[in-house]
Amino acid sequence: MPELHINKLRRGHGEDAFKVVETDPLPRWDKDAKLTVAGTRQTRVEGEEKVTGRARYAYDMRLPGQLYACILRSPHPHARVVKVDTSRAAALTGMRAVVSATDAPKIQWFEESTLFDPRVRYVGDEVAAVAADSEEIAEDALRLIEVEYEPLPFVVDLVAAQKPDAPQLHDDKPGNLPSEPKKYSRGDVEAGLREASVVVDEVYTTQVVLHNCFEPHGCTVSWEGDQLTLWDSTQSVFDVRALVAERLELAEHHVRVVKQHMGGGFGSKQVAWKHTVIAALLSKGSGRPVQLMLDRHAENLSSGNRNATRQHLRIGATADGTLTAIDLQAEQQAGAYMVGGEGSDTSGIFQTLYRCENVHTEQRAVYTNTGPAVAFRAPGHVEGAFALESAMDELARRLKIDPVELRRKNYTELHQPRDVPYTSPDSLRACYDACTEEFGWSSYQKPTADGQKRRGIGFAAHDWGGSGYPPGYAWVKLNTDGSVDVVTGTQDIGSGTRTGLAMVAAEELGMPLESIALHLGDTANGPYAPVSSGSATQATIGPAIRAAAADAKKQLLDAAATFLEVAADKLSIRDGRIWVEGEPNSPVSVANVTNRITPHMIQGHGARGPNPEDKAIRTFGAQCVEVEVDTATGEVTVLRVVASHDCGRVINPTMVDSQIIGAVTQGLGYALIEERIVDYRYGVVLNANLEEYKIPTVADIPEIIHAMVDLPDPEANPTGAKGIGEPPLIPTAPAIANAVYDATGIRVHSLPISRREMLRLLGEQAQAQAQPASGQEATA
Amino acid sequence: MRSFDYTSATTLDDVISTLGQTGNGLTRPLAGGTDLLTLMKADIVQPARLIDIKRVPELASGIAASGDGITLGALTTLTEIETSALLQERAPVLTQAAALAATPQLRNMATIAGNLLQRPRCWYYRDEHFQCWLKGGDTCHARDGENQQHAIYRADVSPCVAVHPSDLASALVALDAEVRVRGQGGERTLPLTEFFAPPTDDRRMENVLGDDEIVVSIRIPDADNTRSTYLKAMDRKTWAFALVGVAAVVRQAGGQIEDARIVLSGVAPTPWRVRAAKQALIGSTGDASAIDRAVEAAVAEAQPLEHNGYKLALAKSLIGNALRAVTGDG
Repeated sequence: MPELHINKLRRGHGEDAFKVVETDPLPRWDKDAKLTVAGTRQTRVEGEEKVTGRARYAYDMRLPGQLYACILRSPHPHARVVKVDTSRAAALTGMRAVVSATDAPKIQWFEESTLFDPRVRYVGDEVAAVAADSEEIAEDALRLIEVEYEPLPFVVDLVAAQKPDAPQLHDDKPGNLPSEPKKYSRGDVEAGLREASVVVDEVYTTQVVLHNCFEPHGCTVSWEGDQLTLWDSTQSVFDVRALVAERLELAEHHVRVVKQHMGGGFGSKQVAWKHTVIAALLSKGSGRPVQLMLDRHAENLSSGNRNATRQHLRIGATADGTLTAIDLQAEQQAGAYMVGGEGSDTSGIFQTLYRCENVHTEQRAVYTNTGPAVAFRAPGHVEGAFALESAMDELARRLKIDPVELRRKNYTELHQPRDVPYTSPDSLRACYDACTEEFGWSSYQKPTADGQKRRGIGFAAHDWGGSGYPPGYAWVKLNTDGSVDVVTGTQDIGSGTRTGLAMVAAEELGMPLESIALHLGDTANGPYAPVSSGSATQATIGPAIRAAAADAKKQLLDAAATFLEVAADKLSIRDGRIWVEGEPNSPVSVANVTNRITPHMIQGHGARGPNPEDKAIRTFGAQCVEVEVDTATGEVTVLRVVASHDCGRVINPTMVDSQIIGAVTQGLGYALIEERIVDYRYGVVLNANLEEYKIPTVADIPEIIHAMVDLPDPEANPTGAKGIGEPPLIPTAPAIANAVYDATGIRVHSLPISRREMLRLLGEQAQAQAQPASGQEATA
Repeated sequence: MRSFDYTSATTLDDVISTLGQTGNGLTRPLAGGTDLLTLMKADIVQPARLIDIKRVPELASGIAASGDGITLGALTTLTEIETSALLQERAPVLTQAAALAATPQLRNMATIAGNLLQRPRCWYYRDEHFQCWLKGGDTCHARDGENQQHAIYRADVSPCVAVHPSDLASALVALDAEVRVRGQGGERTLPLTEFFAPPTDDRRMENVLGDDEIVVSIRIPDADNTRSTYLKAMDRKTWAFALVGVAAVVRQAGGQIEDARIVLSGVAPTPWRVRAAKQALIGSTGDASAIDRAVEAAVAEAQPLEHNGYKLALAKSLIGNALRAVTGDG
């Protein structure tokens, strides 16, 4: 039986809280483990459902009497809502319910603000909502709502919002600062910089980008009697349940949140947004089920974004390339509210990726009158890596050291902020090796420039979490016919979670994958599992499922031992059959055993055990890219990408390939194309659509080669697997920017490297080359 | 989208008699719908009635060689143009422009007449919250705003700095094409250079087509001894409107350039014909210095706005590349 560990948590106020973690005594799947399912290529278990259109998303729900809801959004970046008159809208035929600041209950939402706050803080902030018989009637109704606004001064720019006379967004947060700057320090940075023979001292800026999940945020809600059911497009059914129950003052068991399939979340669906509660209120008001899906415009205004950053970085090294100091001052654009899921730790990667004794980082979030930021696939690390990895490349150039060599020189096997070793101290090195070897980094020969088009190569590395963590639970039920139901409260956010988890169950049980049905995404049916974020799901729930499967297997073998009159420890399961140690033939199948004990049902229970306390679990990776820059037209073409990423044991190489391809694609968009454009005079987002907000097309994406490293990390958890969902996005942009430098000699400090930006930089370069050499150089 | 009535016509007379503004609101023709429906969804136009013209025989798609040219029916799709062997041989500038426009799905739906008539992509125009000059308001919000995608020609004098988005329009202007239109007052034929006209206070449109008129066909005159090409710069590799597009049609005899028509997309309220470049080329062999002179002449009149100076560099590079492609040995 597992042991319970109950640890007191420190809390600032109120009652003490306790963290309860079950131990997980399973033997670890280390690198020598003989596994038959884990590690094989498998297509998605839900693939057929998806490609045939049978998979049901939140939008596909059609309940009897269902209404369609729309939200009225503020056209002002900052204003007091003086009066909302919904009477003309309410009179429209087919209109069923309306809520606004005038009549909605005062439900606290982001920070101190309310659901329909009397003060709107960005263009897109929620003002009112309607539900009607059709989407068209709901839209007509919105046009009939009369709102009186009292416009207030506003600020949409990260730098302008920090000026002393800047308009203030929140009365209780002076300086537009949501919190004290987050500071970290080790060693003596100024001394380190004095020791350095080369210092790179630059400001890097990154833009706001939008998640653009193909499936927008939204839900279908049914409130019948005291039972509220939400089919919500969320990364966390349990978090949505907890928040909705709390804010609507319902008992948790009267709220059920279901999410079976998702068309992308990328972090933007890891918090409970207003639409769920708005839809619930409209359902209550109308007595009908209500569907509230955001359209693309609303999606791109109000459901989160990757924050813009401005990073002042100073980084120094001695002549042999040893880092002596890293100093970062980072500012990041929070938008109008802190929504509770930002997770954007820009400074994190500066503290961990390279060995350096003297590190100082300081980051501050800043409010602006724009849509709120939320986590976006490796939040913080993506922004930080652009600055850090660009600066490392610059250091290498100035020191005339190969960029990969410079990184090897500053390798660390320790998690420096915690001062503990990594469970996988060699895996970043393995990524360096695999990636550069596959790419042919050291033997690369630059083609002769034809005058207009120039080629170059770039490298960047990264680290990330992805450890998974307790608690998280699973059940395994063995049916009469030997088939298996695995139940967990986690959710599949589209990344292949069902498949990866079913493979763990199949492996532990010794059953074929086809005999496993994986049930998830329903608070009413499965035990608790945390939010699917931080690349954690496989590493959190995989071990819980393995533990539940082991529990079920033990019970099954105990039963079989009775029939077979053999000690249970002489029995094992393989290919759905029971085997006796030393016997060449299997006497009985699993189905035979379950059939003989029916209607008794074998039920296994499993919990995610604790992470090690004396070591740090980390994922790592590296990418090499080759680009071609057309110096006449500013066109940057990425020719190839080679990616190596440590995610511990690779459970399913096909799914890992998929995550790498998807993340590199987003990274390429971040590097070259994507940017939210706000008119600073009106605070209006000009490209909250998919026409003007361009994401990469197939034509933009080169061959992406996954040079796989498969490095089981048994100290991390009993399956040895870690996360892969987010990390491959982190190094893509700096690797591309470094390749642009290699091709052109132009160092990019600001993303994206659009046509316009590249042409501006090429123009500056041409001008500088046309100027006579500066005084000092002329006399040298 | 607001609700609207839908009817389908089978004769051109039926279409013409219902088009335009009446006491019951505006009637607009519907063909591919790739622009009209997006304008309606964004609440930029609110027709009371759409009349489907896809089954009108007089407008039928078709690419036919006639006595001294090629005629395209109004409903000819961009895909049909892109894949036409006749056009590939006689007007590659047009098939290349079609191939670089939009996506295969959109090209299957979009018609040539609709393509010429599409409204600007200016993000202030396309946002219902801005009552901009082009929509009947007083202000061009782009002039002093986010104008990176906007006009570099006539931007100083035009009341609207949006650019014409069509790739094929520039190709057809460079081919000296003409358009046949019919309305309640009868039929008329006019060169595309006259069909496209910068919007004015009284006519806030990029062309002179009347509310009650419809494009029937487009005719490309034959031109022997010409070579042509279309080049386009976009913010990504495909599926984007032109930052700058260049249509170049050059006629050479005995190694000398006799005529050169260069038309730019994405730089002015209408397809922008750079006549000055022609003068620099005529009589030359298309040598490097003639091309350089043509490029400089082409952009001499340009006056970029605050954020779109890069288009000047782009236009120069693309014009040079296009001219080299149609005058060299390749």
